[in-house]
Amino acid sequence: MAEIATALAALKVIGYGCAAIGPGIGIGVATYGLCVAAARQPEMKGTLMGYFFIGAAMSEALALLGLVLFFIV
Amino acid sequence: MGEYLGTALSTFVADAQGIYDTFLSTTVFSIGGWSISQYTLWMMISFVLVIALVIGASRHLQLVPSNKLLNTIEYGYTFVKHSIGEDVIGEGFKKHIPFLATLFFFILVANILGLIPGFKAANGTISATWALALISWIYFNFYGLKELGILGYAKSFVPHGVPGPMKPVIWFLEMLSMIIRVLTLAVRLYGNMLAGHMILAIFSIATTVFMQFAFFHFDFITGIVGVVWFILLFAMYVLETLVAFLQAYVFTILSSSYVGMAIHPH
Repeated sequence: MAEIATALAALKVIGYGCAAIGPGIGIGVATYGLCVAAARQPEMKGTLMGYFFIGAAMSEALALLGLVLFFIV
Repeated sequence: MGEYLGTALSTFVADAQGIYDTFLSTTVFSIGGWSISQYTLWMMISFVLVIALVIGASRHLQLVPSNKLLNTIEYGYTFVKHSIGEDVIGEGFKKHIPFLATLFFFILVANILGLIPGFKAANGTISATWALALISWIYFNFYGLKELGILGYAKSFVPHGVPGPMKPVIWFLEMLSMIIRVLTLAVRLYGNMLAGHMILAIFSIATTVFMQFAFFHFDFITGIVGVVWFILLFAMYVLETLVAFLQAYVFTILSSSYVGMAIHPH
């Protein structure tokens, strides 16, 4: 039983690691887009920041769901 | 030389096992059947501190602030008003500034208090962040319903220009993402604060264990590893100071963009 419990705990960590891959790429792409756009048109930065945070939050939501599953399953 | 490295490592791993238990909420004292946990205590302390700072600052408003503390608080308020409120909500932002500024100052003070060794971050428990997220969620839904009416608010989830048959699907997905906002707001703040403090705790345990072995056995190599742990701890502490500010900023800017989305349908 002890081995099964250890294996389950390890699988949870692996599962969360897998869940963090996609949002990591997503936030990276969003940050890249913000940097490029702000370099081209610095006066748009304030407006773009709002969109960036909404996009990053949506992407991050998946990783956070993974974190919640880590605790409740 | 270096023969205590392995012993130090296994002692550190054994010590780090019980780290999560120190983050569980324990009762500090109880008043008439109400148990006050250490997180509740620190939440109340930061609450009192925010009220004292802000009311104290608003009593002595000057045209050109000469006091540094006063100037900092005024800067924080202007930051919330212009960088967060005006840029994100847009038209009709003035009404929502008091709410957003309260959120920002409370989360910021609670996070920064938690960074002081021996203190606890009130947002390191899911119960506190859950309450904050629920307040924010009810706030933006209330204003969305007030501005647009029940039917208008329900319709506003579907953006303009979506073809007819796709409308129910998009509406369902947008509704789901709207409901899930309360979860993500709560878990983002909680996860960041808990994970950050856990990393600090693990690094300080490592520093202590390696330094102890180095001093008691005059082991030079273990001492060098201990110093490396200490430098890592220092770097993480700097990062956590950034995160403490960033999470307050992110929570506030997300709340304001949710309010903006609710009152100005796209």
